[in-house]
Amino acid sequence: MTTRTWALAATVAIAALATGTTGAQAQDCTIPLGAVFPLTGSNGPIGEPIAETGRWAVEQMNEAGGVQGCEVEYLLRDTQGQSAVGVDAARNLVDVQGVPALLGAISSGVSLPILTSVTAPSEVVQVSCCSSSPSFTELAESGESGGFFFRTLPTSRAQGVVLGNIASQNYDEVSVIYINTDYGVNLAQEFQEAYEAWGGTILESVAYNQEQASYRPEVNSALAAEPDALVLIAFPVDGSTILREWISFGGPQEFVLSNALRSDDVLEAVGAQFLDGALGVDNAQVSGPSVEAFNADYQAAFDADPNRPGIHINYDAAAVTLLAMAAAPEATGPAIRDHIRVVTNPEGEEVYPGVDGFSRALELIEAGEPIRYVGASGPISFDENGDVAGPVLIWTVTNGALAEDRVITVDEVNALFDELAQ
Amino acid sequence: MMGYVSYLSFFLTLALIYGIATMGLNMQWGFTGLFNAGVVGFFAIGGYAYAIVIGPDRPDLVGGFELPFVIGLLGALAFSALAALIVGLATMRLRSHYLAISTFGIALTIQLVALNFESLTAGNLGLIGLGRPLEDAFDTPLGFNLFYLGLMVVATLVVYGALQLILHSPWGRVLRAIREDEEAAISLGKNVSRFRLEAFVIGCSLMGLAGAFYVGSIGYISPFDFLPIVTFQIWTMLILGGSGNNRGAILGAIVVWGVWTSSGWLISTVLPPAWQVRGAASQVILIGLILVLTLLYRPRGLIGERVTVSSGAKLNDR
Repeated sequence: MTTRTWALAATVAIAALATGTTGAQAQDCTIPLGAVFPLTGSNGPIGEPIAETGRWAVEQMNEAGGVQGCEVEYLLRDTQGQSAVGVDAARNLVDVQGVPALLGAISSGVSLPILTSVTAPSEVVQVSCCSSSPSFTELAESGESGGFFFRTLPTSRAQGVVLGNIASQNYDEVSVIYINTDYGVNLAQEFQEAYEAWGGTILESVAYNQEQASYRPEVNSALAAEPDALVLIAFPVDGSTILREWISFGGPQEFVLSNALRSDDVLEAVGAQFLDGALGVDNAQVSGPSVEAFNADYQAAFDADPNRPGIHINYDAAAVTLLAMAAAPEATGPAIRDHIRVVTNPEGEEVYPGVDGFSRALELIEAGEPIRYVGASGPISFDENGDVAGPVLIWTVTNGALAEDRVITVDEVNALFDELAQ
Repeated sequence: MMGYVSYLSFFLTLALIYGIATMGLNMQWGFTGLFNAGVVGFFAIGGYAYAIVIGPDRPDLVGGFELPFVIGLLGALAFSALAALIVGLATMRLRSHYLAISTFGIALTIQLVALNFESLTAGNLGLIGLGRPLEDAFDTPLGFNLFYLGLMVVATLVVYGALQLILHSPWGRVLRAIREDEEAAISLGKNVSRFRLEAFVIGCSLMGLAGAFYVGSIGYISPFDFLPIVTFQIWTMLILGGSGNNRGAILGAIVVWGVWTSSGWLISTVLPPAWQVRGAASQVILIGLILVLTLLYRPRGLIGERVTVSSGAKLNDR
C-alpha cells in the first residue's frame, strides 16, 4: 500500500473518531437513552412515527423533571431495515455513547441479532415495541437473554390460555385442528397446555396445510375419536371448508374457534344456523382513561390520527424504560432491568401517560411509594420472560350473528397465568 | 475510551468480514470479468451451512450438529463451493449482463428458500442459540470483540496471502487474459470455461466463508440478514476500493462500511433530536454523495490494479 492510501485510511479513521467525541463529551447531567428504528427502507413509513413517539415520551419526561434530576437524551439511529446496520448502530450506542437502555427495533430479524450480540452480552436493557417472534421468549427461558429483553406487544399466549380456559369449562374431550404456520403451531401448543392443565383431554390434534380444496383426511381423523367438540385454529377460507366438512360428516355442532374465524364470511360460508352457540376468542380493543388521554394528547401534539401501527406500544416501551430509569438507583442496565417490574407493580398507585402522569410518577418514586404505569395500551405487566399479555374478547354466535360475550381484562388474564403456573 | 476500542474492534470485525467477501468478488470480477450479482446468495449459504453445523440440536429441525467452530467454517466453504459449482455449471456459458441477471435471480431464490424451508432454516424465525466461539472464556464483550477481531485479521491475511499466491501464478495470468480478451485466450488453447468455473467457485466459497464469520460474530441467523442490498454494498466496496487489487478490496470494505455506519453516528450527533427522524434520509444521501465523489476523483478506485502484465514486457505509460 502506498503512503498516500495509508494517509487516506488514517484520515477516515480520525474523522470517524472526531465525530464521536462531540457526543460523548457532555459533562452536564444527561442520561442517554438509545433507540434503533428503521427510518428509511421498506419499513421506514412505519418506523418514523414510532421513533417520533419515543422522542415525544422522552420530551415529556424531561418536562416532568427528568430522570434523577438529569435530562434524558434521546439518541436515535436508523437501521435502514438491515440487521448488520442495526447491530452496528446498537453497538455504537452501547459502547461509545454508553446508553444503559435501548428501544427497538421493529422487525424481529433486526431486534434478535441486537439482543444476542449487543444488549445481552453488554448487559443493556432492550425494550422492543413491535417484535413478535416467539424466539425472544425461548431465549428468555433458556437464560440466554439474561432478562434484559422486554416487549410491549401482547403475545398470542393470552389467547391460547383463554381459549383453553373456556374450552375446559364447556367440554371434557375435544379434537384440535390447527393451521401449520407459526401462528397455528404456537396457539395450538398454548391451548393444549392450558386445556390439559384445567383437566381437559385432547383426543386428536391435527395440523393442516393452507389452501387445499378439501380437508377430509384431517376432519376424519379428528372426528374418529368421537370428541365432544372441535377446537379450530384457522383462517376464514380454510376454516369454512373444515367446518362444512365436519358438519357434513356428522360431527357434533360444538365449536371453539380462534380469533381469525371471527368473521361474517365464515358465518355466510358455513351457514350461521349450524354454528349457533360456537365460542371464540379475539384481541380485545384496549380502552380506558389512560388510552383516551394518550389519544387526545397525541392528536394535539402531532395533528395526526393515533391509530397507526406501533404508536401506543412504543410510547409505553419508552415510558416504562424511563420510569424504570427514574426508579433505579443508578443508570446501569442491570439496575434498570430490575426496576421495570417495580414501576408496573399491580399493587402500586396508577399513573398515566403525559407530563402530568410522569410528574406524579416521579413524586411517588421520590417518596418511595409503589407505582403502576397504566399506559397508552392500557395496564402493562411483564411476565418472567419480559412478555406482556393483552385483554382477550370472548365472542359467540347467537341467533345467526356474531356477538361479544365478555372481555377478559389484562388482570384476569394474568390471574389465569398464575393459576396455570401453580 | 474502552468503549471506543470495543466499538472500533467490532466495526473492523464486520468490515474485514465484508473484506473477505469483497476479495471473493474481486477474484470473479476484478481478475476474471465475471459479473456475479448474486453475492449475498453465497454469503447466505455459507452462513446457514455454518449455523446448521455448529448449532444446537432442536427436535423440530433438521441439523444442529453441535460441531466445533472450525468444522462450521469448513462446512460453509464446502457448501458454498458446491452451490457455486452447480450454479456455475449452469451459467458459466453466459456473458456479462446475462450472467448478472441469472446470478441475481439465484440469490433471490436462495433467500426465499431460507425463508420457506422451515424444517432446515426455521424460516423467518431464524436460528437462535448459535453461541459465539469461546464467548464464555471472556468476562466482557470487549474481550470477545478483540478476540474475534484478531481472528478476522488472521483470516483476512490468510485469504489475502493465498489469493496473491494463486493470482500471480500462471493460472492467475490466464484469468486476466480471459478478462481482457476471451477469444485471444481461447486461441492460445486455454479451456476458458474451466478457468471461469474455477474462479467462480473459489470466489463464491470465500463469500460463503465470510457468511460463516458473520454468523459467528452475531450468534443468530435469519433470511433478513441476506437482503439484496448486501450484494450492492459488496460491489460498492470492490469498485470503490479498486477492482483488480486485493488490498483495494480490503480497504474498500473498511472505507465503505465506515462511511455507511459513521454517517448515522454523525447525523445523530450533529442534528437536534427533533430533526433526527427526518435526518435519516440525509444519511442515505450522504452515503451516495461520498461514493459518487470518490469515484469521480479516483475513477480506478482508492488503490487500482497495478499496470504490470509480465516482468518481461515493455509497457507504454498509460
